[in-house]
Amino acid sequence: MHSSTSSSDAPVGRRWLGAWLLAIALAVAVCALAEAHWRALGYRSNILDSRQLWAQQRERVDSGSGIALALLGASRTEFGIDPKRLRERLPKYRPVMLAVDAHYPLATLRDLAADADFRGVVLCDLDAVGYLRVYWDMQQPYVDYFHKQWTPSWNLHRRLLTDWQRSAVIANPAFGWKASLTHALEGSEPFHDYIRYYANRSGDIDYRQTDPESTKRHFAQAMEGNIAALPPHDPQRWLADLAPMHAWIGAIAARGGSVIFYSSPVNGLQREALQRVFPREQYWDRLVAAFPEAHFLDALDVPALSHFDLPDDSHMDYRDKPAYADALAATLVERGYLSR
Amino acid sequence: MQFDSFTFVVFFAVVLCAYNALRGWAARKWLLLVASYVFYTAWNPLFLPLLVGSATLDFWIAQRIHASTERAARKRWIVATLLINLGVLGLFKYHAFLLDNFAALLALAGLRYVPARFDIVLPIGISFYTFHSLSYCLDIYRGKFEPTRNWRDYALYVAFFPQLVAGPITRFTQMREQIETPRQTTRELLGLGCALLVLGLFEKCVLADTVFAPVADAFFNSVSSASAAAAWSGTLAFSGQIFCDFAGYSTCAIGAALALGFKLPINFRFPYAAAGFSDFWRRWHISLSTWLRDYLYVSLGGNRRGQWRTYVNLMLTMLIGGLWHGAAWTFVIWGGLHGLFLAAERFARERLLPAKWQAPALLRFGYGLLTLLLVTLTWIWFRAPDAATAWQAFAHLLPATGNGAALDSGQMFAVVGFALVTAVHWLMRDRDLLTWQQRLPAPVIGIALGLMLAMIVLSPGDNHAFIYFQF
Repeated sequence: MHSSTSSSDAPVGRRWLGAWLLAIALAVAVCALAEAHWRALGYRSNILDSRQLWAQQRERVDSGSGIALALLGASRTEFGIDPKRLRERLPKYRPVMLAVDAHYPLATLRDLAADADFRGVVLCDLDAVGYLRVYWDMQQPYVDYFHKQWTPSWNLHRRLLTDWQRSAVIANPAFGWKASLTHALEGSEPFHDYIRYYANRSGDIDYRQTDPESTKRHFAQAMEGNIAALPPHDPQRWLADLAPMHAWIGAIAARGGSVIFYSSPVNGLQREALQRVFPREQYWDRLVAAFPEAHFLDALDVPALSHFDLPDDSHMDYRDKPAYADALAATLVERGYLSR
Repeated sequence: MQFDSFTFVVFFAVVLCAYNALRGWAARKWLLLVASYVFYTAWNPLFLPLLVGSATLDFWIAQRIHASTERAARKRWIVATLLINLGVLGLFKYHAFLLDNFAALLALAGLRYVPARFDIVLPIGISFYTFHSLSYCLDIYRGKFEPTRNWRDYALYVAFFPQLVAGPITRFTQMREQIETPRQTTRELLGLGCALLVLGLFEKCVLADTVFAPVADAFFNSVSSASAAAAWSGTLAFSGQIFCDFAGYSTCAIGAALALGFKLPINFRFPYAAAGFSDFWRRWHISLSTWLRDYLYVSLGGNRRGQWRTYVNLMLTMLIGGLWHGAAWTFVIWGGLHGLFLAAERFARERLLPAKWQAPALLRFGYGLLTLLLVTLTWIWFRAPDAATAWQAFAHLLPATGNGAALDSGQMFAVVGFALVTAVHWLMRDRDLLTWQQRLPAPVIGIALGLMLAMIVLSPGDNHAFIYFQF
C-alpha cells in the first residue's frame, strides 16, 4: 500500500476505479429494481415520524416569525389538525405540530412551561384519561431526546432523510431487504398504509383505503382494554394530582403566552366508554372550574366542531381536515382565546 | 456525528475535497484538526473545551516530564496526569457507580445515605481519548521517545476524527510519523478506504442493526417471558451485534483514515475463530487489549513476579478492563470471567498439558468452538442491565424453562447470520483482509461492494448509536 502518489498507483488506481464504477452501477440497479417493484404493486413513498422529526418541530417553537402555536396531543391532533390551513386562518400564529401518536402530551406541556424562550400559545388536546398522573411522562423520551441529543448535525441528517423518504418507497423499513425477504418466505405482502405523513409532522388518513368499521371496532376494543388496565382513580385524586399544572400554566402566562385545553370530537362507542368511566360533570367540568387561569374548549359544546363524521369514531378523514381547521380557528377566535 | 448518517457523508466529502485542495502539509493538518473538532461538537459542543483542555494539559505535562532530570519530579508529573485524567473520567463516568456502592456499603453498617443525583452527561469518547493521552504521557515517562514540540500535531493525534470517539486506540508511535510526514489521498487509498467504509457500514447497518439488534433487544427487554429458543437466539444475536457494531465502527474508522492517507492499526482479527482466550484477546479490540497489557498488566509486574502474582495481575487487568467498558458490576463480572478463562488457560498450558498444547487441527477447532460458546455466554453479562436479568437470561437458556416456541423469522435470520459471521471468521482466521483483497479481481470486488451498498440502502431504519460510544 502506498502512502503517496507514485507511478505504481496508476494500475492499482484503475483497478479501484473499475471496481467502484461496477459497484455503483450494480447498487443503483438493485435499488432501482426494488423501487420499481414496490411502485408497480401500488406502494408510495412516505415520510416516517421519529424523535428527530419531533425535535425539528420542537426547535421551531422558539424561532420564526409570528406567535408560536404549539399543537399538543396524540393521534387525533397529529392526523386531525392541518397546521398549514390553521396558519392561513390564523396568520398571526405559527402552528407547530408536537402531538405524538399514542402518547399523551403533558410532558411536553411541562417542558414548554420550563422553556424560558417559549412565549406562545399551547393548544393541548387530551381526554380525561390523558390527565392521569401515570400518563404524564409518555412524551418525556421525545423531550429528553430534544434536550440531550438533538444537534445541528442530526438536524441536517433528518432533513436529508426526510427528502429521501419523500422520494423513495425503499426508504421505508417495511420495504427493506429483511422485510421483503420475510414477506417472500411467508407469502405475505407489506401493509398498504392509509396514512400519508408530512415533514411538518401532520398526517392525512384516507379512510377510503381501509375498512373504517374494523378500525372502529379495533379502537373501541383498545379503549376498553386501556380502561380495564387503568390504575384506580376518583375525581378528587385525579384533580389533586393535577396541581402542578398551575405552575406550568402560570409560567407560560407570565411570559405572555397562554394554554388552551381542548377535548377533540369523539363519537360512538369511544365516547360512551369515556363518559361511562370519566363522566364529564365529575372530571372535565371540575377541571375547568379548578384552572381559571387556562382556557378550555370541549368540541362537543360546539356543533361546528362536533358534526364531523369520524369514520373510526375518533379520527378525521383527511378530506374533512380543512373544514375542521377552519371551524377550530373560528371557534378559538370567537371565544377570545386567539386573535386573527 | 455518526458514520451511518447523511451528515457524515456530506462532512466527509467536504473534508476530503478541502484536504486535497490545500497545498501545504501544515494547512492540511490544521484542516484535519478543525474538522475533528467539528466532528466532535456534532454531539455536544459543551464538551469540546474538555477535549481541547485535556489534550493541552497532557501535551504540557509530557514536556515537563521530559524536561525533569530528577526521578522524583518525573514521578510527580506522571502521578499528576494520572490523577487528573482518571479523575475526570471518574467524575463523568463512575461518580454514580461509586456513590451508589458507597451508600450500599454504609447500609451494611446500618447507616442510611441517599446519594444526590447529578444529571451529568458522559462526554462521548472520553474513555478513548483519555487512554490516548495517558499512553502518550506514560511512554514519555518511560523514556520511549521525546515529546512532540508541536501542540497541533499532538492535538491532532488525540482528536483525529476517524478514531476519536470509539478507537482504535492508537499510540503516538503509530501516528507520529504519519502526522509529521506529508501524505495525501491517492486513488488506491481512496478506493480501498471507501471500500472499508462500505464494509464497516454493511456490518453496522445491515448486520448489527437490522439482523441482530431487534432479536437481541427483544430478548434482553423481556427476559422473564422468553422461551429457550428466544434466549439462545437472543444471546447469539447479541454476540453478532456487538461484533458487527464495534468492528463496523473500527472498519469505518480505518477506511476514513486511509482515504486521507493515514493508516490506523487493525482492531479486530476475526475473533470468533479464536482457539482459546489468549487468542481471543489477540483478535478482539486489539488496541484496548494491547493498551491494557502494556500500561496496566506490565505496570503491575506482568509475569515477572512469580506464578500466583501473574494470575492476580491477569485478573486485575481484566477486572479493570471490564470496568472501563461501563460503570456497573455486570461489566466487572464480564471482565472477571474473561480473567478466569485466561488464568485457567494459562494454568492448563503451563501445568496440565504443556506437551499437548500444540494440538492437532481438529482439537484446536473443538477448543475454538468451546471458546466461542463461553465468549457468547459471557456476553450476557455485558448486555444485561443488571445481575438479576443476567441470571434470568442464563436460566432461560435451559430447554426446560419457558415454552418451547420455535424460532420466528427474525430469530432465524439472527441465528443464520451469526453462523455466517462465524464461518467467515474461520475461513479468514489466518488471513489479512487488506492483503487478501489485493488478490481479488476488480469485478469481484465491484460486485461485492455493489451488493453491500445496495443492502445498506435497503436497510433503512432509525440510527442506532454505536454501542461503544457509551464507553
